[in-house]
Amino acid sequence: MNYALRLHEVTKRFGSFTAVDRLSLDIPRGCIYGLLGQNGAGKTTTIRMVMSIFHPDSGTIEVLGKPDASMVKDKLGYLPEEKGLYKKMRTAEIVAYFGKLKGMDTSTANLKARELLTTYGLGDWLDKKCEAMSKGMGQKVQLLGTLIHDPELVILDEPFSGLDPVNRDVMRDTILRMKREGRTVIFSTHVMEQAEQLCDSVMMIHKSKLQFAGALGQIKQGRDFGIVLDYDGDGSVLKSVPNATRVNDSGKQAEIFLQSGADPQQTLRWLVDRVTIRRFEYRAPTLHEIFVRTVEDANARLAAAPVAQGAS
Amino acid sequence: MANKSFLVAQREYLENVRTKTFWLGILAFPIILILSLGAGFVLAKLKEVKTYAVLDLTEQKIGEQIERAARTPDTPGMMKLLRGSGLPQKLQEIRDRYRDAIEPGVDGKEPEVPDEMRRELQRVMLEIPASDFAAITEKATETQKSDKFELLTLDELGIAGIPSEEQRKKLREMVESKRLFAYFELAGDPIQSLSDFRYLSNNVTDSGLRDMYDRAATRIVQKLRIGKAGIDPTIARSLQETVRFREQKLGEDGKAEDVKTGDKANKYAPMGFVYLLWIAVFTAAQMLLTNTVEEKSNRIIEVLLSSVSPLELMAGKVWGIAATGLTLVLSWVLCALIGVWVAPKLMPGFDLPLMDVIGDPLYLASFVGYFLAGYLLYAAFLVAIGSVTNSLKEAQNLLQPVFIVLIIPLVSMMFIVEEPNGTVAKILSYIPLFTPFTMMNRAGGPPELYEYVITSVLLLVSVWFAFRAAGKVFRIGVLMTGNPPRLKEILGWLREK
Repeated sequence: MNYALRLHEVTKRFGSFTAVDRLSLDIPRGCIYGLLGQNGAGKTTTIRMVMSIFHPDSGTIEVLGKPDASMVKDKLGYLPEEKGLYKKMRTAEIVAYFGKLKGMDTSTANLKARELLTTYGLGDWLDKKCEAMSKGMGQKVQLLGTLIHDPELVILDEPFSGLDPVNRDVMRDTILRMKREGRTVIFSTHVMEQAEQLCDSVMMIHKSKLQFAGALGQIKQGRDFGIVLDYDGDGSVLKSVPNATRVNDSGKQAEIFLQSGADPQQTLRWLVDRVTIRRFEYRAPTLHEIFVRTVEDANARLAAAPVAQGAS
Repeated sequence: MANKSFLVAQREYLENVRTKTFWLGILAFPIILILSLGAGFVLAKLKEVKTYAVLDLTEQKIGEQIERAARTPDTPGMMKLLRGSGLPQKLQEIRDRYRDAIEPGVDGKEPEVPDEMRRELQRVMLEIPASDFAAITEKATETQKSDKFELLTLDELGIAGIPSEEQRKKLREMVESKRLFAYFELAGDPIQSLSDFRYLSNNVTDSGLRDMYDRAATRIVQKLRIGKAGIDPTIARSLQETVRFREQKLGEDGKAEDVKTGDKANKYAPMGFVYLLWIAVFTAAQMLLTNTVEEKSNRIIEVLLSSVSPLELMAGKVWGIAATGLTLVLSWVLCALIGVWVAPKLMPGFDLPLMDVIGDPLYLASFVGYFLAGYLLYAAFLVAIGSVTNSLKEAQNLLQPVFIVLIIPLVSMMFIVEEPNGTVAKILSYIPLFTPFTMMNRAGGPPELYEYVITSVLLLVSVWFAFRAAGKVFRIGVLMTGNPPRLKEILGWLREK
């Protein structure tokens, strides 16, 4: 019962396409867990299997200690990637409806729905139809529909996509609050900064296969440190930094990786003469860097051994 | 678990029933019915009056007699007249003698009037003083042809007393200039020859006036010729008698009994109900499809499926729309009952002989029952189609076969009413897709009890199988995106356990 979610050797195929390939995961209770991966990597399929919308072809899934999510459906909250509401329903009604579908009784659900909507700044919209709302408001309403029944495990598929900065903060605060309340939050994203800021643990899936999984610190351990540089000036000189193996230049900020044994002090000295430095930091690689490298490495491996994939 | 289906159904029902369009849609049907009845009434009133003239050059001067005969109401008109009050003594006598025969027929159909009475009426009508005549016929001919045509005398046209050649020329000019719609020219001795009877008009398509005069003139000329030949009027009457079979049917006790108007109402009333049933089944099934496609296209389906199983969702949707459809059907039945009750009070003389049919609780119950069964059967198909498509446009393509099947009950409707126990009717009854419509349609027959039992069992079994199949398709189809699956794939799903 220590785990919110355990996957063991889970495989899902659609025809000849393997969407998820022998995926094993242990997600402890009470943490914020990030599912990383490119579009089409298999995140959504994994989530749908966890929600028992799809059934795996092989392997086992244990949700909240039960062998099948349908046994604990009422304790789960799910916000799918593609968000939609009934256009003709009133805001408070639809939130309450989702609550009732999760086993809440009518009066509690109605009360809770209005309360939540008011807390989230939609007090004026309680009795307005969903079609009248902006996209951001609609997403908020849907999030509340996911949370109204106080689920033990919440799964959010790309919760930040399409949100403005204010609503992003609302989403972030909500996730953090749930963690404080002892709930488990799993969310998928391809924005690494978000995962890095929020998650206790992450996993990455690429082309149906698990690449890495674990606590953030653990994942970063043993990987090349890099220089994070905030600068002004001509970024093109960064390409010729001595002893650099990789440079991720974003215009105002850059991440620079050095050959093993190279001295970051020397690099700093070299840079001082060429650009205006506002920040210089030598630290473990960002999740972004790890993600990009993992994708590159995996693609290189696949290119080198195309037969291996066919056999899986 | 079933509780969740109920929640889905409840939402579905409320969403549909709460909209204004739903109630407008429900009301639209009776309103359109009333409007079309009213429009026909108003149009008949508004129709422009066409004028004509008669140039009577016959030796016997029969023009006036013909005009008068033409103005005598036709049989339905006379029946209507006889039902009124303030009649001259002679007409009242006739009414009392033939009281049984002047009850209104089905849907305004001509009642079975004995020839004898018809002739007697015609004779009496021609004897009534001209001043009374106009007042009496006005009532009877309100909506009839004869008041759409108005006779202008030669005096009124200002061409009396001039040579007939001149008159003819002037009349032609008047037809030419549209002052007159038409004119009749009667010349020669009609006892000998009718070759000099002419009708001149610029409009050859509207033959109403000519028909009216044809019939009237025939009667007058016949009378003239009979008189001339010195034939005894009773002999003449017997010679002219038309043959009319007395319509009978076998009663419950096996004895022949006369067909009453109520029997005919029973025969045709089902058509109205079949049509309503059809609209209701079609509307409800269509609603189900639209809602399913909508949930799919706005992706809400995924949230729902994280809370309820696909089968619970499907059951909830199907029952929710069933409740919506029942509301529709019951509202119509209520409208019909109110209509039958109110209409005669608002419009005297507007009586539908459908009263006893609509008032039959067993028939109404079977209407509701057949709606439910028919809807469920088609719902199974449409919910499956809805689940595999991503937009209404895609769904339309898959729907075509269903529409073609649905047309058959409409096409066969008239046919089955005419022969409720014929081979075609029987065969269609045993095809579950048509059972509800055909059995409703055959109510005038009525079918044997065993037919009701067997067809109902077949229908319910089909509903069960259809839903098992629909469930399998729905479970898989509802999460699919991209192109709809091919039929082969769907058949593959059906074979899965």
